[in-house]
Amino acid sequence: MGEAYLGEFEQIVLLAVVRLGDKAYGVPVRREIEQRGGRGTTVGALYSTLDRLEAKGFVHSWFADPTPQRGGRSKRYFRPTPAGLQALAHSKSVLDRMWKGVRLKGGADA
Amino acid sequence: MHNVPKVAEWILRRLVPGREGEIIAGDLREEFDARGGGRSWYWMQALSCVAVRLSPNRLAPSGLGRDFHFALRMLRRNPGYALTAMLCLALGIGVNTTVYTLVDELFFKKLPVPDAGRVVAVDRAGEDMTCSYRDYQEIARRTVGAGRKIFSGLAAFQDQPTSLDTDGVSRTVMAEAVTANFASALGLQAQVGRWFVPEEEARGAEPVAVLSDGAWARRFGRRPDVIGQRVRIETQWYRVVGVAPAGFISASPPHASEVWVPLASQPYARELLAMPGERDRPKVRLIGRLAPGVQPRAAESEVRAVDAQVWREYPRDKPTPGRLLVAVASGTGPAVRPVAFHIAALLIIVTGIVLLIACVNVANLLLSRSAVRRREMAVRQALGASRWRLARQTLAESLTLAAGGVVFGLMFAIWTNRLLVRSMPAIPHLGFVTLDMTLNWRVMVCAMVAAFASALLFSLSPAVEQSQPDLTPALKSEAGGLRRMRQRDIYVVAQVALSLVLLIAATLLVRALRHAGDIDPGFAMDHRLTARIYVSEPEYTPETGRLFFARVLEQARATPGVLAATLSYAIPLNFADSGCTATDLIAKPKRGGSDLIVPGYFDAMRIPLVAGRDFAPSDLAGSPKVAIVNQTLAARYWPGESAVGKSLWLGCDPKRPRAKAEVVGVARDAKYGSLDEDPKPFVYSALGQDWVGFMAVTVHTAGPPAAFAEPLRSLLRGLDANLRIYEMAPLEEMTAQSLWQVRWEASLLGSLGLLAIVLAAVGLYGVVAYTVAQRTREIGVRMAMGAQTSDVLWMVLGRGLRLTAIGIAIGLALSALVTRFLGSFLYGLSPLDGVSFAAAASFWIVTAMVASYWPAKRAARVDPVVALRWE
Repeated sequence: MGEAYLGEFEQIVLLAVVRLGDKAYGVPVRREIEQRGGRGTTVGALYSTLDRLEAKGFVHSWFADPTPQRGGRSKRYFRPTPAGLQALAHSKSVLDRMWKGVRLKGGADA
Repeated sequence: MHNVPKVAEWILRRLVPGREGEIIAGDLREEFDARGGGRSWYWMQALSCVAVRLSPNRLAPSGLGRDFHFALRMLRRNPGYALTAMLCLALGIGVNTTVYTLVDELFFKKLPVPDAGRVVAVDRAGEDMTCSYRDYQEIARRTVGAGRKIFSGLAAFQDQPTSLDTDGVSRTVMAEAVTANFASALGLQAQVGRWFVPEEEARGAEPVAVLSDGAWARRFGRRPDVIGQRVRIETQWYRVVGVAPAGFISASPPHASEVWVPLASQPYARELLAMPGERDRPKVRLIGRLAPGVQPRAAESEVRAVDAQVWREYPRDKPTPGRLLVAVASGTGPAVRPVAFHIAALLIIVTGIVLLIACVNVANLLLSRSAVRRREMAVRQALGASRWRLARQTLAESLTLAAGGVVFGLMFAIWTNRLLVRSMPAIPHLGFVTLDMTLNWRVMVCAMVAAFASALLFSLSPAVEQSQPDLTPALKSEAGGLRRMRQRDIYVVAQVALSLVLLIAATLLVRALRHAGDIDPGFAMDHRLTARIYVSEPEYTPETGRLFFARVLEQARATPGVLAATLSYAIPLNFADSGCTATDLIAKPKRGGSDLIVPGYFDAMRIPLVAGRDFAPSDLAGSPKVAIVNQTLAARYWPGESAVGKSLWLGCDPKRPRAKAEVVGVARDAKYGSLDEDPKPFVYSALGQDWVGFMAVTVHTAGPPAAFAEPLRSLLRGLDANLRIYEMAPLEEMTAQSLWQVRWEASLLGSLGLLAIVLAAVGLYGVVAYTVAQRTREIGVRMAMGAQTSDVLWMVLGRGLRLTAIGIAIGLALSALVTRFLGSFLYGLSPLDGVSFAAAASFWIVTAMVASYWPAKRAARVDPVVALRWE
């Protein structure tokens, strides 16, 4: 297995987790993707991606104590692992290299 | 504060269990509150989690997907093997599916009416009919509407064969006489016109009828102007007011009703309903729609209570009847169920055996495949694949084969379903049976369950075999071990044994048919043509009817080529009637067979009179009543005495006076209802003293009887252009109908037996061929050492025959155990009939010779040099 490559949605989810720091649990992650990424996502898709990232060792998760405004249910917080950060950096450099010198007709350039 | 949708949350927590579900539910609750509601949004989110959770990738244990992927690839690379296995399975599954369809049709299919799960039949345990019409009215009054509301509608009906005439064509058909609320209780709409209205039940109302879709198509070519047309049922004309919806054939399928009429407008029922004291007739069956919220179980206990109450309020001098049963209306009524059950059980067993044989074939194929792949498997195991992993791989392959088998099998079943429908004998009392043999999901699920159970069964053997611990011989490419050969042999033996059982059963039935042909029916049926005619009111009175019959006989007898002509109400072995007799006025009457005949009947039918005289033309209504009895009746009532001159009291009905008759003759016993019946008491009365307009004309012809059909028809039409003529056929054909069930079962068993033999022969061929391939080197050595071609031939042939012999021995023993279940269909033939057993066994030996001959010949052609160089 060479350098792990992240899918587009995986990158977005992982970036959202990175951006949110220690406030990264389900609700803010989804909001971040919606507001900054400009795309909606379902809870199902989000959690299946987070589970996959965790299985690959790119994020680490833990459970926080239940809070009353959630009907007494606990939260699951996420934090990127060093391998996750490395994978993100790798994906970005791949994309950067690929974009270098590319001009799209009538479109924005990199 | 909004509340989250409870159902969505419940589903989420149910399907996404544990902490994961809790976290998601928490997230959703938080967001739901933050965005201030949005139930559909919540539902979407919850369902997205469920969808992810239930996706196949997620569900399957890791690697199972890969197993199937691998299995598919294996099958694609060996299409011949895969196709053979799938086709074997498809044959087995196909015939099984047909039987499942039949069973579903006979026992489980609900009526084609809206919300059929709420429509229930109310039957009485142990009886064909539920209750009398008057009791129905009482029960309906207390269970529908006010007070205890059990049914939202309760209808009564009776179904009976009758005759329907349209445009001069008369035919015996099934008709249902129903109450006016029949259609509304069932939720039936008419596709043309309407159903009955309550006024049409009133006394003096014009008789009206609703035609079935089939009757509309056959008799009126689907013309819309059928409304207002007139059809005649027995003695009465009815105006057509509607056509039933296409899928609806009757309240008790698979019996197909040709026409529906209001029960109260039927002449016989009308007469009974007009009698003030008559509580017990006419008898009806009940069907109703449960009131909302009432379950069948609850309805049953309520209805039983009501029934008991009615019985207490109107006591009768009869034992208390059986309990009422309430069940969702589906399939055959209580009258047909025993016959249907017998046929279904037989077919399930037989097709089960065919499927078993097919499974063994596939197991054999898998086994030889696994022999080829022994090295591969051993290598994988040596590399660390667990035994469970390898077994799972085999299972995946079997399941893939089974899936293919189901697909082909269902396609095959469409064809066999049609074949079964066509194989139903075309005779009147079965002609009313309309089987709708289309595949539905219940049947398909059954077929799939059968297929997957088979897959488990046949994947068992290679899995067991593969999991044997010793890898060394396999890695050394050593040819098959003793153990596998034994396993394969057991399979062949089992196949031979099972298919032999089917073959013996089929042979027994065929022999029984022959045997039945040898039974002396006690009357002559060759060179006789029989036609059923109906002379009824209002065109005829008994007097003019008798005159008409006399002219029919006179003209028929005068026709060249006619040796004799006679009339009878019953047709032996086809249409029986029964009556009661007693030796004095107060003795309990005993039921027996009866017939109404004319003078000369015994002569024309070659039934000898052993004592006394025949009826005479002078035995008329005004003269003393006379009767002729058969030997059995005479011996039972007057043992050791002459019956002639004794008095006999005729009649079953305790309310009507019995008629006293003097016995004037004793006729020899004959077969009346079926060929295998025990001698039963029988009494003949004279048409001159008793009247029925529904008579069978039988003419004894010099030439072939069928050739006289047209002359007889024109003779009858010449006497009365509007005469109603029903079935007309040589007597031999009519009597043969009593054998239909045996004939039908013999042909079904025969074709299934043949299928089983083909499958088993393929299996045998495979095993012998495989042996030859395995032993090529050995054969080469033997030939190099001087063995002759014939030696090798016999060595291989001998192996096939040895296996067959063991299989035959077991099959014979097995057959001896099971053939007694055919008992009643064997017409006195012993279930252990030696000829059948021997014939079936020798047939198998020949098949085995053929199946092993080809591989043997190939073995004999082995070139020793080539075979030895092989290493």
